Amino acid sequence: MEITHRVENEILMIAIKGRLDAATAPIADETIKKTLEENTSRLLFDLSALEYLSSGGLRVILGAAKEIRRREGKVALAGLTQYVYEIFDVSGFTAMIPIKETVEEGLKDLAS
Amino acid sequence: MTCTPFSLNAADMQSHKYSFELKSDLSELETLCQHLNKFGQVTGLSEACITDINICLDELFTNTISYGFEDDLEHIIRFTINLDNKVLTLIIEDEGIPFNPLEKKDPEIPADLIDVRIGGLGIHIVRKLMDDIRYERKHGKNKLTLKKFI
Repeated sequence: MEITHRVENEILMIAIKGRLDAATAPIADETIKKTLEENTSRLLFDLSALEYLSSGGLRVILGAAKEIRRREGKVALAGLTQYVYEIFDVSGFTAMIPIKETVEEGLKDLAS
Repeated sequence: MTCTPFSLNAADMQSHKYSFELKSDLSELETLCQHLNKFGQVTGLSEACITDINICLDELFTNTISYGFEDDLEHIIRFTINLDNKVLTLIIEDEGIPFNPLEKKDPEIPADLIDVRIGGLGIHIVRKLMDDIRYERKHGKNKLTLKKFI
């Protein structure tokens, strides 16, 4: 599992690559919390290279999304594979977080 | 998501049984994935189906090692997968304390993200992806049997 981030037009983009499960969740959580310290209020998760997600990993993403909502900011997800989308869908979160097909669409959504 | 085997015709639809054991350590989640990829190769089940099986066994395994043992010793969790015609049966057994994950209530999914309580999602996902789940406590063992009709 690998996490990278960059800021574009005041939007924080976090890309998660590989497997996000109960084994990798603690390190992912710590890394993401650190990047959120930077007073961000717009967050885009790029999940195009996320190969596997279980509930342990889902909690990490939801935790960050909740934090941004608490700041009255905006959050979106982009690039979900079919499997990752299914996990968000069966958990009921596709109705709560905007999901965009591409990072570009996600950026556009958050910029508006 | 459907689980149709992509390369099987009626004659190929024989029964397959696959068993393996994992140690009670989260690092074994990768080994679980490797076993299921092997099972996928043998049976010709679609990648989508193997991923569904992987997620369900992952959630239950993670639950077991989080709540099922009272000491820090290494324990063994045994998995058996059976594909018989169109019925997929997954069995997970451990010798931990009596622990029935089905007693956990499904989380209520609220309308807004801010009200989400982050917990209990694993078993909720398993219930959604499988057609039947049963728990038994027999001979000092926890046994979970999951079924999916494919």
